[in-house]
This record gives sequence, C-alpha cells and structure tokens, in this order.
Amino acid sequence: MNQRLRNLLGTDTLLPYWLLLPTLIFIGVFFLMPLFEAIGLAFHGDAGFTLDYFKKMVSDVRFIDALKYTFLFAITIVPLQLITALAMALLLNTGFRGSRFFLYLFALPLGIADLAAGLIWLSIFTHHGFLNSILYNLGIIERPIHYLSYQNINFTFLSVVAAEHWRATAIVLVILVAGLQMISKDYLEAAEVLGARGWKKIWYVILPLLKPSLQSALIIRTIFALQTFAVVLALAGQITPVLAGEAYFWQFLYRDSHVASAYAVLLMVISIAMTWVYLRYLGSKTEVMRG
Amino acid sequence: MKQLILLGVLAFGLLASAADITWMSTQFTPIAEGEFVRNQILAPFAEETGISVDLLTAEYAEFTSRIEAEYEAGSGEIAVLCGLHGHLASFAYALADVSGVTPGGTINPTLMAKGQIGGKQVYIPLMQATYLMVLNKKALDYLPEGADIWALTYDDLLQWAKNIYEATGEQKLGIPAGPKSLLHRFIHGYLYPSFTGYQVLAFDSAAAVDMWNYMQELWQYVNPAAPTWDAMDTPLLSEEVWIAWDHTSRVKEAIVQRPNDFIAVPSPAGPAGRGFISVLAGLAIPKTSPDPEAAAKLIQYLTTPEVQVKILQGTGFFPAVAEAAGAVPAGALQILAKGVSAQAASPDAIVCFIPGGIPDEYKKIYKDTFYKFVIQGEPVDLEFLREQATRLRELYIEAGAPYPAPDGK
Repeated sequence: MNQRLRNLLGTDTLLPYWLLLPTLIFIGVFFLMPLFEAIGLAFHGDAGFTLDYFKKMVSDVRFIDALKYTFLFAITIVPLQLITALAMALLLNTGFRGSRFFLYLFALPLGIADLAAGLIWLSIFTHHGFLNSILYNLGIIERPIHYLSYQNINFTFLSVVAAEHWRATAIVLVILVAGLQMISKDYLEAAEVLGARGWKKIWYVILPLLKPSLQSALIIRTIFALQTFAVVLALAGQITPVLAGEAYFWQFLYRDSHVASAYAVLLMVISIAMTWVYLRYLGSKTEVMRG
Repeated sequence: MKQLILLGVLAFGLLASAADITWMSTQFTPIAEGEFVRNQILAPFAEETGISVDLLTAEYAEFTSRIEAEYEAGSGEIAVLCGLHGHLASFAYALADVSGVTPGGTINPTLMAKGQIGGKQVYIPLMQATYLMVLNKKALDYLPEGADIWALTYDDLLQWAKNIYEATGEQKLGIPAGPKSLLHRFIHGYLYPSFTGYQVLAFDSAAAVDMWNYMQELWQYVNPAAPTWDAMDTPLLSEEVWIAWDHTSRVKEAIVQRPNDFIAVPSPAGPAGRGFISVLAGLAIPKTSPDPEAAAKLIQYLTTPEVQVKILQGTGFFPAVAEAAGAVPAGALQILAKGVSAQAASPDAIVCFIPGGIPDEYKKIYKDTFYKFVIQGEPVDLEFLREQATRLRELYIEAGAPYPAPDGK
C-alpha cells in the first residue's frame, strides 16, 4: 500500500495536483462553501426558492443611499489611489538613496486594521480632535467645527476618502513596484537609444508594460473599495450607509441572514462585473507584447 | 494509572454533587459578573445557611430549551431561575406560584404586580435597569421658566435645548444615534409611548405624525455628531453635550468620573404620559424544582437590602427593594439610583417592556423611520408610516408574540 501510494504521489503528472490540494481545500472550505451558503440563504426561505429577500433589500429605506455611497466611494478612491501609487512607485523605482526605506514607510499603513485606521482618522476629525485643536490654538477658528456630521456630508465623505487613501494605497503601490521591477532594462535602454525621455518613456514604454500589474491592482482595489465598511462605520456612523455595512447590520443587529446574504450576493455580482470590465478593457500581457 | 483515573472521576462526582441547588440565569453572563455573584454573593449565602448554590448562566435559547425539557420530563435539576420579565413571562405555565415566598426587603407593589401573570405570582422582582436623562449642571442656567428637572416634558426639553443654542451657539442636546447605539429604545420605549400611549399599536396614528414633527424640530438642537455616537458617556465628559439620554450603563462612566458635575433625572413626558422602559429581572421557581424550600431561602437572601446594594455595585443593576435605594453608597451610583427611582415613581409613568419573541428587524423599523424623517429630514409621510406599521405588526403576528406593555396589557 505504501509503495503504491508513493508511486501515485511520485508520478510527474499527479504531483502538481497534490501540491495544489491544500490551497484547493482552503479555498473550498473558506471561500466556496460560504459563497454557496450565502447564495442559498439569499434565494431560499422556509417555502423554497424566493426573491423576497431581494425585494426586502431593494425596498429597504437605506438601500438606494447605500448603493449610491458604495459607488461614489469606489469611483473616488480607486482612481485617486492608482494615480498616487503610480507616482510613488515610479519615484521609488528610480532607486534614489533610501528608496527602500521609503517603500517600507509607505507600506506601513497596510499593517493597520481598517477599523483602527478609521479610529485614527476619527481622532483627527472629531469635535475635540487634533484638527480642531490645532486650528483653534492657531486662532483660525473661534469654536470647534463639526466636520463629521449629516450637515457636513461632503466633508464626512471626503474624510472617509482620505482615511481609505492613507490606509490602502500601499497595496496598489506594492503591486506596481513589483510590476516595475519585472520590466526588463532592455526595453528602457532601447527606448532611450531611440530618444524617448521622461513622460514619453513613461507613457509609451512603462505604462503599457505595466498593464498586467495595473490590472491586478485595479481588480483588487476595486473589490476592496466596494467592501469598504469599517472606516465608514468609524468616521461616518449612520451618515453615509454602504452596502457592506448594511449586510453587516442585517446579519448582526437585525439578525436576518437571508437579507444579509442578499446584500452579499449583490456585492459579489458588482465585483464580478467590475472584474470582467477590467479584464475585457485592460489588455492582457500577450496583447501588450503584440502591440 | 487506572486507579488514578477512577479517583479523579470519583472526586469530580463528589465536587459536582457538592452544590445543593442549581440556579440558572440569563443574567450575569459576562464572566466577571458571574464570578462576582459566585464569590461575593453566593459564598456568604453558603456560609450563612449551609446551602451551596451553583450559578449556571445561559443564553436565552439554552434557558428556554432547558426549562421546557424539565417541565415536559416532570422532574428537573434547576431549583431557581433568574431572567428578564419577558423571559419568565413566556414560561408562566412551568413556574410555581411564589406568592408564599417572603422577600428580604419591601418590594414596591407596582413592581411586584409585574410578576403576576394570569393571577399567579410568577416571579419576585430582583433588579432593574433603565434609560434616563443625564444633565450637566451648567445646563441648569438655561432651564425654561416653570420647568422642573424631576418632571420634564418634551416641550420643556425643546425649549431648554433652544435656550442653550441661542445663548451659546452650540447644540448641547445628545441622543445616541450611531450604528450600535440604543436609539431604537428611545423611539419605541420613550418617544412613542409618551406621545401616542403605545409602542406598536399607534405607530401610524395622528399623534405619531405630531411626534415625528416634534422630533424634526428638536433635532435642530441636537448635536450634529449624534449619528456617530453609540454611547453618551464620552460626549458628556467632553462637554460636547450638556443634556443626554441613554442606558444607565452607558452614562455611568461619566458620573463615576465627575460625580459633582452631573445629575440623573427621569426622561421627559409627552402628551400621553411619561413613557420609559423598565428592564426588570426576576427570580422564579420552576414547578419541577428539586428543592423549593432552599430556592425560597435564596430568593429571600437575594432581595435583602445589603445584597441588593452589592448587586448594584458589582453589576450596575438597580435594586428592586425600596430599603436598598436609600442604602446605596454616596457618589455616582447614588446619583444614578436617585434618577432611576424618581423615574419609576413618576405619577404619569407609562412603563414599557422590551419586545420579546420577535425578530430583531423591529429595531430597524424604528431606526429607519428615524433616519428618514429626522436625520434625512424628509417631510413626515403618513403613507410610509403605514407601511412600516404594517410590517411591524406582521412581525408580531408571524411570531405569535404578544405586544409588549403598554400595548398588550
């Protein structure tokens, strides 16, 4: 038996599958099973198949607002982060003295949990927070300003954007730095020989070669942005509802897993749609090579 | 080796049977509270009477199935029960009449009457909690003429908050309206009963429309950060607000830190009366109790003024026994206790119980209505109120649950 097992494991054709098995089990247990469970909960009630939970979700007083703010956050945060991360990555890639130190410094917020990040920014913007204290002590304002309030909804929105921007730009940065390092020096030297300098080099050589990295960074960041929740919860409370937050409230405050799952399924559909858009419209590596 | 194991099993068996009676409770579930009750309350009881009590804390679901199982089996292990009014009321059939048990102190007859269900004394009140108002003494300078802080009305509150705003330019009234706040309790147990007389039945009445219009007006003077607050102790301490409403345990910290600056007073009264929630926990004896006599002794002990004060200090629950209210040590707890008893003794009281036996979606119905009319400031729309009211009643009908007091008298 042992010998037979060894033979089985040892064959070149089967070995990769054995090595993939732990990952597959992990994905199966922690990702696929809950996923199907959620889909089941969203569509199945006591009386079998039903769309009632989706009807309940759509007729929820906060649904439209949650949908609106989820998209607003995503379309504000993602491009902003992409531009900042790209600028930082290009800068780091010049390899100036201490660039590695800055890479670690920029990546630092990655280690902070999102709720903790939200609370850090809350301590800045809250009524008796750092910002008000500084402005007051400088004599710029006479009394503390309510930044985070339903009367100041734009500022509340921007504070969430700022906190997310600070917290999660590093993930894009790390992906782009890795992508930049994979670009062969040959291309850059060839470009320089042909007279491409500065912006031209970035626009015509680096960016097209960076497309695969940009694509992964965009997919990851967009999916995470759609799930933004803890930072919103900490800074904006009930002022700007988001889909992920509503799912959480339905699950843990109102204890209806069915409606919570309906929200989760909606988020999943949006995420898949966005991923498809990126895959479809941001060319893959082979297209870049051909181009 | 085998002998050792056998010895261990024997010793365990002896230990397990060492307790004379078992006390099952849905309260004291936090570990620290449970330990407090075991060491500070039950250990002295064992010394005094020779009866050792094993406290078994349980979540409501476990509590339910255990009582049902023992009742159906016709015999049980559990000698005494501790649960909230709603927990015990739903098992009235399985509980013995405790009218023969003499409490260790005087229990207010209105409080005692809460434990009477279908002419039977189902439980003896043990302890209570509630939600009330906490004032910073600085606010007193702006109190409207003729208003009495011990008997405020919602009109007084509006005028008061307005006076403060006009004098200081700041919105010093605080209502917790954050995602994890107890805002829903304020709406269903305070606003609704005070304005309409009911928690559920008058959800879409003309009085409810007036109430929402009142809230829109009041909201102008509520601190705009309210939707980010889950508890009012921090804003009270930072003086972002001078007048706040919240659960006793969520304002306690402010008074503990600065007992000289704050007063706890009853919640305001509306046109229908002074609606407030009474979180009441009681002690009951199951019909299947193996030792009803020891159970009665424990109940007597737990309702003595000294033990009642201990419970307040260790768990933050307020006494049910009148003598204990005066015996609370000076300081923060006394300030809170004074507010709690003043609220309970209000002549215009409308005592509300927390809904039980229905899905938690009911909280969302109250909060959503608040979100739409008050936070979003949309005009009060009777059609929307009707839809929400229908859904709210459906929750009770689908679950076959009775309306909580004052609706389901």
